[in-house]
Amino acid sequence: MSTRAGVFAVSCTREHSTGARALQREGQLNRFLAEVERRALRIAEIAVRDRDEALDLVQDAMIKLARNYAERPESEWAPLFYRILQNGVRDWHRRQKVRNRVMVWFGRGAGADDEYDVTAQAPDPAGRAPEDELQASEAIQRLEDSIYELPARQREAFMLRTFEGLDVAGTAVAMGCSEGSVKTHYSRAVHTLREKLGDHW
Amino acid sequence: MSKEPGTTFESRASELFNDSVEQLDGATLSRLNQGRHKALAELQKPAIVRWGRWAPALGVAAAATVAVVIMNGQPVVDVAAGPVTATDFEMLIEADSLEMLEDLEFFSLLDAVDAETNGNVG
Repeated sequence: MSTRAGVFAVSCTREHSTGARALQREGQLNRFLAEVERRALRIAEIAVRDRDEALDLVQDAMIKLARNYAERPESEWAPLFYRILQNGVRDWHRRQKVRNRVMVWFGRGAGADDEYDVTAQAPDPAGRAPEDELQASEAIQRLEDSIYELPARQREAFMLRTFEGLDVAGTAVAMGCSEGSVKTHYSRAVHTLREKLGDHW
Repeated sequence: MSKEPGTTFESRASELFNDSVEQLDGATLSRLNQGRHKALAELQKPAIVRWGRWAPALGVAAAATVAVVIMNGQPVVDVAAGPVTATDFEMLIEADSLEMLEDLEFFSLLDAVDAETNGNVG
């Protein structure tokens, strides 16, 4: 009888410990996602130039991370999350190419209604002098336009390093390439952006 | 938000970007929040449910395998590896087979005669 009680107690303790660990993991993942989601959204938005699409991409990336990698060490989450997100962005661009080709067949190319509406996506100007707001808005818009025109790999390297603050190793994991490639892509991206934006920025 | 002297290109870009992040509107933040909670709900699902999402794909794969087998025709049956005993038994009880056995006796007789003849010659 006492042995049975002992086994029951051990089983309860184990379940309690597993439940506590799961709760702790959920809390950690919640904090991580809350910390990263807004920057991830803006990064995706710059890459696809559509906020709704970017929101979908970020949500998909969060779900995939939780589903497949929640048990991985917390330090690996950021590169994994951005790898999932970048894959989503690449898939999105592929689908867009196919869609555009189909639209051309039907005699309707990427029309004016598909263009990115800068005004609609402009940040809320609350709490800032109008001239400062205008200057900042123009500056970020020029930056976003220039980043969008970069080759995809350079764009990824620049945003992950500069905006998300990933180190070279983390960026390499996120991009699925070597650290040397990251350095090359990043260096070329900065060089091109400097040339484009130059004195006007 | 004016550019400070001595600020590097990357830090200026980073500053502008962070500024735009801070100014995301409430509706967008709300959608991000919903997305995050959907993701966290994945953790509550037992593994079998998470694997269950592959069920349709597995079903399609199984159906495709069956279709390929059917399209390639009937499976080849190796006659040699079949039920030999039963086949032999059927052959033996046939009338023709009995005649064959008589022939065999005749041929063995011929062999014996040949052997004797060769022996005598030798």
